[in-house]
Amino acid sequence: MSSPFIEIKNLYKSFKNSKGETIQVLEDVNLDIAKGEMFGIMGFSGAGKSTLVRCINRLEEPDTGDVIIDGMNITKLGTAELNKRREKIGMIFQTFNLFDSMTVFENIEFPLKATIKDKEKRKQRVLELADVVGLAEKVYDYPSQLSGGQKQRVGIARALANEPDVLLSDEATSALDPQTTLTVLDLLKKINREFGVTMILITHEIEVIKYACDKVAIIESGKIIEEGTTVEVLEAPKSKTAKIFTGVESSLAKAWEDKKGGAR
Amino acid sequence: MTFENSTLGEILKSAFSAKVWGEMMIPALGATMYMLVMALIIMLIFGILLGDLLYMTDKNGLTPVPALNSVLSAIVNALRSLPSMIMIIITIPLGRMITGQGYGPNACIIALAISCIPMFARLVSNNLFEVSQGKIEAARAMGAGNFTILTKIVIPEALPALIRSFTVAVISVLSMTALAGAFGAGGIGHIAVQYGFNRFRYDILIATVLVLIIMAQLIQFLGDAAARLVLKKRHMM
Ligand SMILES: Nc1ncnc2c1ncn2[C@@H]1O[C@H](COP(=O)(O)OP(=O)(O)O)[C@@H](O)[C@H]1O
Ligand SMILES: [Mg+2]
Repeated sequence: MSSPFIEIKNLYKSFKNSKGETIQVLEDVNLDIAKGEMFGIMGFSGAGKSTLVRCINRLEEPDTGDVIIDGMNITKLGTAELNKRREKIGMIFQTFNLFDSMTVFENIEFPLKATIKDKEKRKQRVLELADVVGLAEKVYDYPSQLSGGQKQRVGIARALANEPDVLLSDEATSALDPQTTLTVLDLLKKINREFGVTMILITHEIEVIKYACDKVAIIESGKIIEEGTTVEVLEAPKSKTAKIFTGVESSLAKAWEDKKGGAR
Repeated sequence: MTFENSTLGEILKSAFSAKVWGEMMIPALGATMYMLVMALIIMLIFGILLGDLLYMTDKNGLTPVPALNSVLSAIVNALRSLPSMIMIIITIPLGRMITGQGYGPNACIIALAISCIPMFARLVSNNLFEVSQGKIEAARAMGAGNFTILTKIVIPEALPALIRSFTVAVISVLSMTALAGAFGAGGIGHIAVQYGFNRFRYDILIATVLVLIIMAQLIQFLGDAAARLVLKKRHMM
């Protein structure tokens, strides 16, 4: 078997809290992600999901360990090389993080300014991207004029601008209603299919995993405690966390049974 | 035109007379405007530079340099705690060093600018900190460098707030120019001290107060309008 497209090896990350104590947020994380995969990472709030995904493009510096993408060790890159590589690692966020001072067009154009010097060519690319995410009609609007789903589409277009081979998604659908979540996931699936972009989707919503991910890893207190294909993990969850997510061991389900019992 | 030799009506009439305005107020206004504009240009350049530096070097800034930040911050805070009158007195020797004169409009411009830079720099850095960390990280994740993030993201995102801060700064420089007038800078302040205070010319005192109030109102109005214009363009209000 060929080596994985993204390899995370023995990754550790700690923070100092306000009292100056060290808190271990990631502990010996190891993951192999194949090219073109939609890889989900699911865990409760505070499990270390964001920290993990931010270590991949080094928005957060890992303490030790390696992140290797397509044979290149990201943790070893200098600032200039890292910035160059980041152009091809898209990232989308729960809060969209669009630039309010810019139109949709300018938001998508921003990452292209470093890579396409010709203004006309850049414009073509922006319009092409707006079309991919279905916002051709909205290019001269400002972010404040858009709905949540539309904002995330702009975020996606912006992340795809420089034809990335990796897309990192940190709870990209968590601020959206269930219906909009599905349309955004449909778009991500389409992009994965058509452009072969490898995706890492961080989420605390099992629907996202079920709907969009080929594989899933469960993270708890900074450790990967379970991993496999989505069907494997969700059909036969082993860890308590996975059981809670799948509803096998859900206090919500239990409470609901009790409530129905009480009404009878 | 004191209250001993004139009635209130006569004083008011004189305060709005062509003689007072043509011979004193308009020329004084010109001198004040000259000082104001020159001091503001200097304040704008150095205040934005210093404000950016305070922002960039902060521990939560784009390029943390905590030691430098603490020093800059301490200096800015110390200077800001001094009353404007003291600041002007302290900075006049600096004005002399730069312009060769310890008095007159040009020396005062230097003094005014230096007096206002710390205040404006602090306002600027506060405004820049208002820009969400998320936007900065989005830009960073796209491979943008710190300088690009500062100039293309942080400053434009903070623009409406920066305009409001500048408006505040313009009004305080205006009130300082009036104060500087007492130290030989000319302009409205000089007139107020020379005639209003030393010779009890209440008509002139009323006219100077009127000019200052109108100018402050006008500046506030223009500043608000400019900030609103930017927000309207972005459909944020
Ligand atoms: N910059 C930071 N400084 C201190 N602690 C942090 C920082 N970032 C995250 N943490 C802590 O790390 C843990 C994991 O956070 P995070 O990765 O955001 O979790 P998740 O995304 O799974 O909710 C939390 O306990 C959080 O408080
Ligand atoms: Mg998170």
